[in-house]
Amino acid sequence: MQRKLLSLLLILAMMLPLGLALAEPAPLTVTVFAGDPFDQPTSDNKIYKLIEEEFGIKFEFEFLAGDLDETLGIKIAGQDYADIMSGSNSAEMLIDAGTYIDLLDYINETDTPNLWAHFEPYMNRITVDGGLYVMPSFGRIYNDAIVNYQNGPAFWIQKKVLAWDNYPTITTPEQYFDLLLRYKEAHPTTEDGLPTSGFEILTDGWRNFCLLNPVQHLMGHPNDGGVFVHWDDNYRVDVFHNKDYSKPYYQKLNEVFQKGLIDQDTFVQNFDQYIAKLSSGRVLGMFDQYWNFQNATDALIARQMYGETYIGLPLVYSEDITDHYIDQPVINVNRGFGISVNCKEPKRIVDMFEALLDDRWQTIFHWGIEGEDYYVENGRYLRTAEQKANAENPVWVNANKARALFFYSPKKEGTMDNGNSWDPALQPELYFDMMSEYDKEFLTSYGMKTPAEFFTPAPPNEPYYPVWQIDLQPYPDMRDINTQMGDIQARDLPRLIMAAPGEFDGMWETFAKTMSDAGQAEYEVFLQGIILEMNERLR
Amino acid sequence: MDRTRKLTGRPGRGFLRTLWDQRQLALMSVPMLLYVLLFSYAPLWGWITAFMSYKPAVPLFDNPWVGLRNFSWLFSRQEFLLAIRNTFAMSVINLVFNTVSAIGLAVLLNEVASRRYKRTVQTVTYLPHFLSWVIVVGLAQNAFATDGVVNQVLLSLGLIRQPLFFLGEGRYFWWLAGIIHMWKEAGWNSIIYLSSMSAIDPALYEAAEIDGAGRLRKIMHITLPGIKSTFVILLIMNIGMLVSGTNDGNFDIPYLMGQNLLIDWSQTIDIFVLKYGISQGQYGRATAAGIFKSLVSIFLLFSANRIARRLDEPTLL
Repeated sequence: MQRKLLSLLLILAMMLPLGLALAEPAPLTVTVFAGDPFDQPTSDNKIYKLIEEEFGIKFEFEFLAGDLDETLGIKIAGQDYADIMSGSNSAEMLIDAGTYIDLLDYINETDTPNLWAHFEPYMNRITVDGGLYVMPSFGRIYNDAIVNYQNGPAFWIQKKVLAWDNYPTITTPEQYFDLLLRYKEAHPTTEDGLPTSGFEILTDGWRNFCLLNPVQHLMGHPNDGGVFVHWDDNYRVDVFHNKDYSKPYYQKLNEVFQKGLIDQDTFVQNFDQYIAKLSSGRVLGMFDQYWNFQNATDALIARQMYGETYIGLPLVYSEDITDHYIDQPVINVNRGFGISVNCKEPKRIVDMFEALLDDRWQTIFHWGIEGEDYYVENGRYLRTAEQKANAENPVWVNANKARALFFYSPKKEGTMDNGNSWDPALQPELYFDMMSEYDKEFLTSYGMKTPAEFFTPAPPNEPYYPVWQIDLQPYPDMRDINTQMGDIQARDLPRLIMAAPGEFDGMWETFAKTMSDAGQAEYEVFLQGIILEMNERLR
Repeated sequence: MDRTRKLTGRPGRGFLRTLWDQRQLALMSVPMLLYVLLFSYAPLWGWITAFMSYKPAVPLFDNPWVGLRNFSWLFSRQEFLLAIRNTFAMSVINLVFNTVSAIGLAVLLNEVASRRYKRTVQTVTYLPHFLSWVIVVGLAQNAFATDGVVNQVLLSLGLIRQPLFFLGEGRYFWWLAGIIHMWKEAGWNSIIYLSSMSAIDPALYEAAEIDGAGRLRKIMHITLPGIKSTFVILLIMNIGMLVSGTNDGNFDIPYLMGQNLLIDWSQTIDIFVLKYGISQGQYGRATAAGIFKSLVSIFLLFSANRIARRLDEPTLL
C-alpha cells in the first residue's frame, strides 16, 4: 500500500513539470503591419517583455514608410498580409479586398466578455455587412470624457500676438486677420531677425485639410471632412468649397495675400518645411489640427519660446453663430487592428486582446508600472518630475511603452471607475502641473484655466456623424468623383488665393463650374442617401 | 569565311546541327533566356486583368469580364490625356537635355590633358547619380524657392525685378524637371561616351594634326563621328523607354515635386495610374494603362530602329 502511494507520488512528481510546461503557452511570433510611421521599439522593451512573459507572444512590426494607399494597394495585389494589420485611414481598402477575417466568429458574450462589453453598444456602427473586421482603437469612452485642450481643428495664433494686443476677444476671420496684419506691420522680423510670416496654409498631400476644411467650422459645424451637411434641411449635403458661403473666406485670404500676409511659398512647401517654419517661431497663425503640428510646439517649448506657441481660436463667420470645433468623441470605425486571413492562430490573438482590455493591462498601457512610471497619492495617479520627463522622451518611450501596439488596440478612454483619467495626458492635475508659468499667466489674463475654455463644449453628435467615416470603397464611381474634385480643389484654391486684384470673381466662376462638371451634384445626392440611411439605422 | 558560315548556320544544314555546333554559346544564353521568360513574358498573363473588374482576393476567373471598359474609361478622362502629354513632353525634354549634356561633358573631359583633373571632374559630376531623388528634389526645392539661391543670383544680376515663383507655376515645371534630371545624371551618362571615345584610334588624331587640323576640327571630324554608333544605339534605347516606368524622370521628380497646383503639368501616366488605379484598388485600370504604355513603347522602339536603318546607321534589332 505504502509502495503504491509512493509510486503514485513519484508519478505525480514526474508529471508536475509536464503540467507546468502545458500551462505555459507555446511561443508565437505575430507579424504586425502598422499603417502609420512609428519608431521601432527597442528589443528589450519593458512592456512587450511583460506581454511575452504572460502570453508567450512576440511582435514583429512593419511600420508604414511612404504613401499608405500605395503600400496597401501593393500588399493587396500580392496578398502579402501580416497576421494583424491596421490599414489606418485606408482600412476600407483592406476590408473590401477580403484581407480580414470576421472577428464576430471569436468575439461573443461568453468567450470574450471584455471585448463584447467594449464594442456591443456600437455594434450597429462598427460592423460592415454584419461582420466585424476591425476593432476600433479610439473613441470608446468610459464614464466622462475629459477635455483640457483642443487636439483638433482651430485657427491658431501665437500667444504673444494676443498679448501684444492686450488679450482681445477674437471671434471672426475679420478680427483675426486684422490682428495678424497689424502685428506683422509692427514686427516685420522676429527677435532672431527672421522675416515674420503672417499666415501659413499647408497644402502638402492629404494634409491639405488646412486649406480645405475651415469653411464648415466658420459656419458653426464640426469636422465632417470635405462636406457640409444641412441638418435642418433633410441632411442635404454640400461639397462646400465652391458654394456661395465659401467665397467670403477665400476672398478674404486673397485680400490678405495682396497685403503680403500670406507668402506664395506656403503653397509649395512640404510638411517638413512647414513644421520647420512653425518651429522657428516666425509664423503668426494658421488653420490646422493640433496633432498635426504638435512637433513644432514641442520644439518651441524645448527652446522655451512660450510666447511663440499657439492658442486655438474657434472662429465663426459672425458672432451669432455658435462655434462647434470641439466635437463629442466618435468611435473610430475601421481604424485599429484586424486579423488577416494569413494568420494561423486568430483565436489566440483575440484572447490576447481580450486579456489586454482588463483594467490591469489598460493601466499598464496608459500609465505604465506603478512605482516606476507613476505613483498613487490619495487615490490619484500622479507623476514625479522625472517620470513626466520620461513620458515625453521619445527614446525612453521606445524602451518602456508599447506605443504602436497600444495605438491600434481596443482601449479604454475617458475616466476610470476610481475617477482617474485613463489617458495620463488628460489627468487634470498633471495637465496644470506641466503648464509653463507663461501659459498659466496667459490663461489667467483671459480668466481661464484651460485652453479648452476658448471653445464651446461639444453638443451631442448627429447619429450619422462624421461623414469622413463613410466608406466609399464599394462605390468606385463616387471615389473617382471624389478624387477628381480633390484634385481640382487642390489646384484651384491656391490659384484663387494668389489671384491678381480684379481677377478673383472670374476665376471663382470658373472654379465653381469645374467642380460641378466633375459630378459634384451626383456625389452630394449619393452622400445624402447614405446619411439618411445611417441616421435611420443608428438613431 | 568558313567561320562566319558556321556561326550563322548554312541553309539546309539543320537547326539541331547548328545548335550542337554552337552549344557553348547556347548554354551561355540559357540563364538570360530564362530570366526574360520568367520576368518579362510570364507576367504578360496578368494582362488579362485589364479586361476584368479585378480583385486579388477573388480567384482569377471569378472576376467579372468588362470588355474594353477599363480602356475607354482611361481615354475618357481629361486627366489621362494631360498625363500622356506631360509624360511625352518631359521625356523628350529629358532625352534632349541628357544626351546633349552627356556628350558635351564627355567631349570636354576628353580634351583635358591633366589626368588628375579629368578624374576629379568626372567623379564630382557623376556622384549626384548615387543620391536618392528625395534628396535631389529637396536640394532643388531649396535652390529654386522664392528666396532661394537661383532667384537671388538672378535678382543681383538684375535679370529679374521680382523673384520668380519657379515651384508654383506650371509653365516652369517641365524645364525645371529637365534641369534637375540633367544635373543628377549628366556625369553618369557621359561615362559611356568617354569609354567609346577612348576606343578611337589615336592614329586618326595624329594624322589630322599633321594635316593641320585644330582642336575644334578634330572634335567635329574625329571624336563625334567616332561615337556616332554609340549615340544612335543609346538614342534608340532611350526612345523605347520614353513612356516607360523604368525611366525615373517619369515618376520620381513629378511625384516628389509636382505640387497640387502644378498637377496639370506634373501628373504623368505613372502617377495617374497610382492615383486612380492602385490607390483605389482598381487594378484592372492600372493594367490597362500599363498595356497602353507597352504598346506605345514597342511602337516607338520599332520606329526609331527603322529610321536608323533607313539612314544606314547601326540598329538595335
